[in-house]
Amino acid sequence: MNPKKRTRDLPAWLMSAPLYLFTLLFVLGPLVYMVVLSFLQRAEVWGVTGQLTLQNYRNILTPVYLRTFGESFRLALTSTGLIVLIGYPFGYFMARLRGRWKRRVMLALMIPFWTSSLIRLYGWIVVLRSGGTLDKLLMALGLAQKPLRLLYTYPAVVVGMVYALVPFMILAVYSSVEKLDWSLVEAARDLGASAPQAFFTVTLKLTLPGLLSGVILTFIPSMGLFFIADILGGNKVVLVGSLIQDQLTQARNWPFAAALSVVLMVLTSLMIWFYRRVTHVKDLEGIL
Amino acid sequence: MNKFIALSLALVLSAGLLTGCGGSTAPGSSGGDGGVTPPSSPASPAGSDTLNLYTWQGMFPQEVLDGFTAETGIKLNYANFDTDENMLARLEAAKGGDYDVVIADDYIIQVVIERGLAQKLDKAKLTGWGNINPVFQGQFYDPADEYTVPYGSGVQTIVYNPAAVEKEITGYADLWDESLRDNVAVIGNYRVINGMALKVMGESYNTEDTAVIQAAGQKLLELAPNIRLIKNDNLQDDLLSGEVGAAVMYTSQVTLAMLQNPELKVVYPTEGVGFGIMGTFIPSNAPHPDAAHAFIDYLLRPEVAAKCFEYMGYYCTNKAADGLINEAYRAFLTLPEGITGGEMVQTVSAAAEEAHNRVWTEFKSACGAA
Repeated sequence: MNPKKRTRDLPAWLMSAPLYLFTLLFVLGPLVYMVVLSFLQRAEVWGVTGQLTLQNYRNILTPVYLRTFGESFRLALTSTGLIVLIGYPFGYFMARLRGRWKRRVMLALMIPFWTSSLIRLYGWIVVLRSGGTLDKLLMALGLAQKPLRLLYTYPAVVVGMVYALVPFMILAVYSSVEKLDWSLVEAARDLGASAPQAFFTVTLKLTLPGLLSGVILTFIPSMGLFFIADILGGNKVVLVGSLIQDQLTQARNWPFAAALSVVLMVLTSLMIWFYRRVTHVKDLEGIL
Repeated sequence: MNKFIALSLALVLSAGLLTGCGGSTAPGSSGGDGGVTPPSSPASPAGSDTLNLYTWQGMFPQEVLDGFTAETGIKLNYANFDTDENMLARLEAAKGGDYDVVIADDYIIQVVIERGLAQKLDKAKLTGWGNINPVFQGQFYDPADEYTVPYGSGVQTIVYNPAAVEKEITGYADLWDESLRDNVAVIGNYRVINGMALKVMGESYNTEDTAVIQAAGQKLLELAPNIRLIKNDNLQDDLLSGEVGAAVMYTSQVTLAMLQNPELKVVYPTEGVGFGIMGTFIPSNAPHPDAAHAFIDYLLRPEVAAKCFEYMGYYCTNKAADGLINEAYRAFLTLPEGITGGEMVQTVSAAAEEAHNRVWTEFKSACGAA
C-alpha cells in the first residue's frame, strides 16, 4: 500500500486532532488556569486559597496600578508613532529598490535577529552608558563637554522600543507597497495630480492596510515588552508587564498577577477588534 | 512570501518576549533566589557512607567537599534548587526525607520548622557549636537555636565611591541628601528598600501597621529624585562604571565591587544593620542524620568556614573564622566589632504585603517621573 493512499483514508478530524489537542493543552489550558486564578485569594504566606473573590480586579482600580496601564499605553503610543515615521518611508523605498538591492536590504534587516534580543539590548547599554560610545563620539565632536546621562532615562527606553520593533513595521509596509499597482499612481499623475497629491490620495490609501497591520504589530507587543523598560530605563518606567513580573516573582501574589494579565489581554483584544471595525480589514497582511 | 515573512516575524517576536523573563537575584540576600541549575534528583542508596546535600549551586569550594570525603569516606551527593520555594515543595513531597543537609534562606526555614520538616540538632555531636557568631543566632526563624546553624549572611550596607559623592554617607538618611540627585542605585527588593524609609523613620522592617507603611511610602517619594537606577542583577557594574556614586546592593555584589575597586566605602547604616541569614538544617526524616551532623560540624571548623565564606562572598557567621579570612576580604566579609545585630526582614501579613506593594509601585513610577 502506498503511503499517499493511507493518508487519504484517514478522516479529517483525526488529521487535525494534534492541532486541536495542542491548542487545548497549551493555549486554552493556561488561559483557563489564569482566569480561574485571577478570582482566587492569595494565602497569608504563600500560595492561594480556594475562596473566590473579586478583590484582585478591584485592586487594579487603585490609582497606583491604574497608572501603570496609562504608562504602558503612553509608551506604546510614543514608540508606535516614531516607528511609523521611520518604518513607513523605509519600507516604501525598500520596496522600490531593484531586485538585488532589495534582497540585500532585506538580509541586513534580518541579520540582527540572529542574535538574542536581550544581547542586542545590552549593546544599547554599551552605547548609551555614561562614558559609552555615544558619549565619546559627542565629546570628540565637541557637542558635549561632559558625559551625558543617557542611560536609564525615558528616551533610552523609547530608543530601545523603536529599535526592537521597527522591522515589523518596515516589513508590513514593504509587503503592501510591493503589491501596489503603480499604474494607478501613474494614472493619477496623468490626470493632473501633483506627486504629493498622488501619494496621499492613491499610494497611502492603498498601503494603509500594511501600515495599520504594522501599527498593530508594534503597538500590541510594545504594551508587553517590559524588559526593555527594565533594562534601559532602570526599572523606573513601570509598565503593566513589570508589575505582573513583580507580583509573580517578588510579592508572590499570583492571583493579582493573573487578574492584571486578564485585563491586559482583554484590552489588547479590544484594540484588535476596534482596528478591524475601523479599517474593515479582515486580513492583517497575512498575520491575523 | 508574505505569509512566510509574517510567520518568521511572529517566531522572532515570541522568542524575544521569552528572553525577557530571565530576572533572578542573588542567593542568600533576603527573599532572593539563587543559582541556575535545575534541581537534580537526590538519587542515592541508603547507607551511612553517603550524604545528600541540597542547596543552591556554588555554595562550596570543591576542596571543602573533597576534604570531607577524604577525611570521613562519606560520599557527597550535591543536589541544587534554584529557589527557596522549590526546596520547600520538594521537601514536602519527600515528607522531610531524601535529603540530609539543606541550606536555605531564613524566611523559608521558618516555614520548614513550622511544618515539622526539620529535626532538632544533636549539639553533643557539634563540637564547633561555640564558633558561631552569636549575632547570627537566636533569630526569628529559630529563636532557641534548636534546628539551625547559620551558613553565611547577607548584610544590608550602603556602598559608595568617595570620588563621586560629595557627602560622607553614614546612614540611610544621607541617601535623601540633595547632593546625591540622580546618583543612587538600589536593588529591586521592595522589603529592603521600603525598609530603608521605615528605618529612617525609626520603625521596624516588619511593621504590620499599614498607616506606617504608607507614611514610609511618602518618605520614599522624597528619595525618588535621587534614584537613577533600580535593578537586581549586576548592580555593582553601574557603581564601578561611574553610572552612580552610591548604591544599596546585595552582599555578593558588594563583594564583587570591593574586589574590583578597593577605594569604595562600605557603610553600616547608623539606623541599624539589617541582614538575611542562610541556615543549615537537617530534614525531619533525613536518611543519614549521623553523616549530616558530621558534615555540619566539619563546616563549623574555622579553617573550613573561612574557605567557604571567601568562596561565596557572604558575611562570615563563624566568629572563630573571622581572623582567618584573607585580609583583602576581611573588611566586607566580617562584621566589624560593635555591630551587635539588627533586625531581619520577616514575612508580614497579606494586608501589610499589599501596602508594601503599592508603596513600591508608586516609588518606582516616581523615580521615572523625577
